[in-house]
Amino acid sequence: MENLVKVTFSLNGRQVEAEVLPTMTVLEMIRRNFRLTAAKEGCGKGECGACTVLLNGEPVNSCLKLAASLTVSDQIVTVEGLEKDATMQAIQHAFVSEGAVQCGFCIPGMTMTSYKLLQSNPDPDEHQIKQALSGNICRCTGYRKIEAAVKKASETRRNK
Amino acid sequence: MSSISFFRPANLSEACELLAKPNHLAVAGGTDLIVKLRNGLFPNAAALVDISALPFKSIRKEGDRLIIGSGCTMSSVIASPEVNEYFPVLVKAASTVGATQIRNAATLGGNVANASPAGDTIPALFALEAEVLIVGQTGKRKVAIDEFFTGPGRSVLKAGELIEGFALPLRKTSGAFLKLGERRAHAISKINLALNVFNDGQKRYRIAIGSAAPTVLRCKSAEELLEKAGEIDAATLEKAAEFACETAKPISDVRSSKSYRKQMAGVLLKRALKAVI
Repeated sequence: MENLVKVTFSLNGRQVEAEVLPTMTVLEMIRRNFRLTAAKEGCGKGECGACTVLLNGEPVNSCLKLAASLTVSDQIVTVEGLEKDATMQAIQHAFVSEGAVQCGFCIPGMTMTSYKLLQSNPDPDEHQIKQALSGNICRCTGYRKIEAAVKKASETRRNK
Repeated sequence: MSSISFFRPANLSEACELLAKPNHLAVAGGTDLIVKLRNGLFPNAAALVDISALPFKSIRKEGDRLIIGSGCTMSSVIASPEVNEYFPVLVKAASTVGATQIRNAATLGGNVANASPAGDTIPALFALEAEVLIVGQTGKRKVAIDEFFTGPGRSVLKAGELIEGFALPLRKTSGAFLKLGERRAHAISKINLALNVFNDGQKRYRIAIGSAAPTVLRCKSAEELLEKAGEIDAATLEKAAEFACETAKPISDVRSSKSYRKQMAGVLLKRALKAVI
């Protein structure tokens, strides 16, 4: 018999409900139940950051968070939920113009972590960018262009 | 895995009752447990008991102690004004756990309860002479951190017991936490070392080394040497480093070798002392 757990929480600003297995992760749930496929499973153990989403405003590895543990006060935000957000748009444009995207698998996680960084620190230096992105692994770009993109996005936002 | 049940107890007695049942696993941040579950380390798991609704998330002064709730995330420990003011070594250790995403979820209680010899906050808690506050069905008990661990992944925690928090003697300290890993960020320690220095009329040193034995070790020989020496000159530094190397009883494993770890115990102590004094 399967023990389904009913959870209610906020997803990208909307209150939603889901029935989940006890061992199901937030990542599996948002991809399967809600068809939000930006966040991805890279390593499944909290090293690569491809699954990064915001939980109550803070970046977490959604592959390590149990969906069943979500409560009505919990707010999950994914890249899809920031479609019209000016900071996220600036980040995405900068990633494209700086050539920071190759295969693209890590990018939703990279942009989510960058988003949180620019929210809390609008003018990060190189070290702060590296520190903030240390939980996101990219196997294509060598990181230089990603760092440049975050820098550029921060300039775009500050010059608005 | 689909026959596993899920519970989210709202109070302590309910939580302890559930955890006393066989194969009921406590889960807080989940950053370690979920990986282990997925890797099949708990083939007989019957239930997951989510303890994050329990009131273990505060950091408060209680008499001559600071009580840090076991449910505090690494990020909340790092952000705490009290922990920053009194226990910089713990802030430094918590800052090296995983990356931001992990630190936003992983709890101090989980890091200790997992009892990994490489757990980064554990040497800091040793150096700060923390007491582990344990609650169970029959009541509460306190265990000194250096008596809490019985081996890799093992502790004195019994079925039906939970770590409620940690009590740290409230005094101004200075400290350093150093670790060596594959890269500077987001790595599991090959070896780590916590140094805590305080003055209770005399300058005191507390040194703990992790990932260098089945459990974290205090290096009392070096502590005594430094306390007796008063002024720390180059010769004392060398001697203290030698004691640290002697204390370390490492093994070779996937992360590092026995000889490297043994040698680095001394190097880390010298670096930590130079950073603090």
